[in-house]
Amino acid sequence: MERATQTQPNDHLVEDMLAIAQRRDQLALTRLFDHYVPKVRAFCLAAQPGSNIMADDIAQEVMIRIWNKAHTYKPEAASLNTWVFTLARNARIDYLRKNSRHQSSIDPEYLWRNVVDENADPFKDAQQKRDQERIQQGLDKLPPDQKQVLSKVYLEGKTHKEAAAELSLPLGTIKSRVRLAMHKLTIYIKR
Amino acid sequence: MLNHHPSIEMLTDYAAGSLALSHSLCIAAHLEHCPECQQQVQKLEILGAHFFDQVPQESSRLDKLKDTFFERLEKQPTIQKNTPLADHAENSTLWDKYKVPYSLRQFITKSYDELTWMRLSPSFKIAILHNEEGGPQVSLTRVKAGAHMPTHTHTGDEITLVLEGAFSDEQGVYRRGDFINRDASHKHKPIVTKDAECICLTVLDAPIEFTGWFARLFNPILRRYHPHSP
Ligand SMILES: [Zn+2]
Repeated sequence: MERATQTQPNDHLVEDMLAIAQRRDQLALTRLFDHYVPKVRAFCLAAQPGSNIMADDIAQEVMIRIWNKAHTYKPEAASLNTWVFTLARNARIDYLRKNSRHQSSIDPEYLWRNVVDENADPFKDAQQKRDQERIQQGLDKLPPDQKQVLSKVYLEGKTHKEAAAELSLPLGTIKSRVRLAMHKLTIYIKR
Repeated sequence: MLNHHPSIEMLTDYAAGSLALSHSLCIAAHLEHCPECQQQVQKLEILGAHFFDQVPQESSRLDKLKDTFFERLEKQPTIQKNTPLADHAENSTLWDKYKVPYSLRQFITKSYDELTWMRLSPSFKIAILHNEEGGPQVSLTRVKAGAHMPTHTHTGDEITLVLEGAFSDEQGVYRRGDFINRDASHKHKPIVTKDAECICLTVLDAPIEFTGWFARLFNPILRRYHPHSP
């Protein structure tokens, strides 16, 4: 799972996005399907091991959202991976909300704004790339125990409390690991 | 510049999608006021995307899923579903004194006045937005300028987001957009500032118990609206 290499920029996939937005190109969608569906399925299975039906359903939902929202994607505001991650995250939340015992009527659609904001900012592109690089570099140097907690939170969808219970560690330890990690990744700036 | 923000752990859980929806609602409302936290969330999403990109994949054949998907896509109506933002963005009208945050527009279409407010004292009103079975209670409170909010303790976490006006307690002043997270051990005596009424979004993990003279009046009413509390 460890990989020190830089994440490949998905230039050809970004072009596919454009082809969908402009020409409703289904072949481009097929290429995006091949690239992202295995990731979305794995992302879902990490949270709910064995739930293949859920994974298939969410993967399809994400692809439909890609198809319908391709025209809203702006490469200067977010990398394609980040954009698809937020789609997958939101689709997973929605699925769990509708299918869990504790059904909630709070609509997640209102709670996460599109990472792509409406006002194109010329500095945004540079800022975004800088953030990407810093986070990537920070991740490569992150101690495994901190990485493990972050992976539990992001991939398995665990809260800090749940992560603490699973790793048999005090909640305070989990919190301080997250805090340290965010500090190293230059995400958390002490106010 | 805001002074009171959600913790980095909470923002992380929000960006990862593991935070309870009721709490995420408060974060979303805070983000509408706070470019600083917005930026942090953007970075947290970049981080999430790295984990997402490197998630260990199993090599299963996806031909069948692909067929199903394209069949489903064919059946899709060609009209695209607009995001709720586009549907409601300009709903707040000019004569409205307050602008309802986007995140709350699933409960309030136009104005705070359309809600059913329960008057619990001459200066204190409450409107329940959402009450989950055995779960958190999401409500708005509306307190007149200069009035005391009733003293209370809570049995679970309480998150307050100031939507309009300001209030203060022993620990500081809280203004529009401020995010306050208090745990069960906290006992506070908030007072609304004298210049304007104060409207807050409040999420309670467990029902609050009011202390003092207010309790006799207040607790039975809240219990009625929180039927699953012990
Ligand atoms: Zn903030």
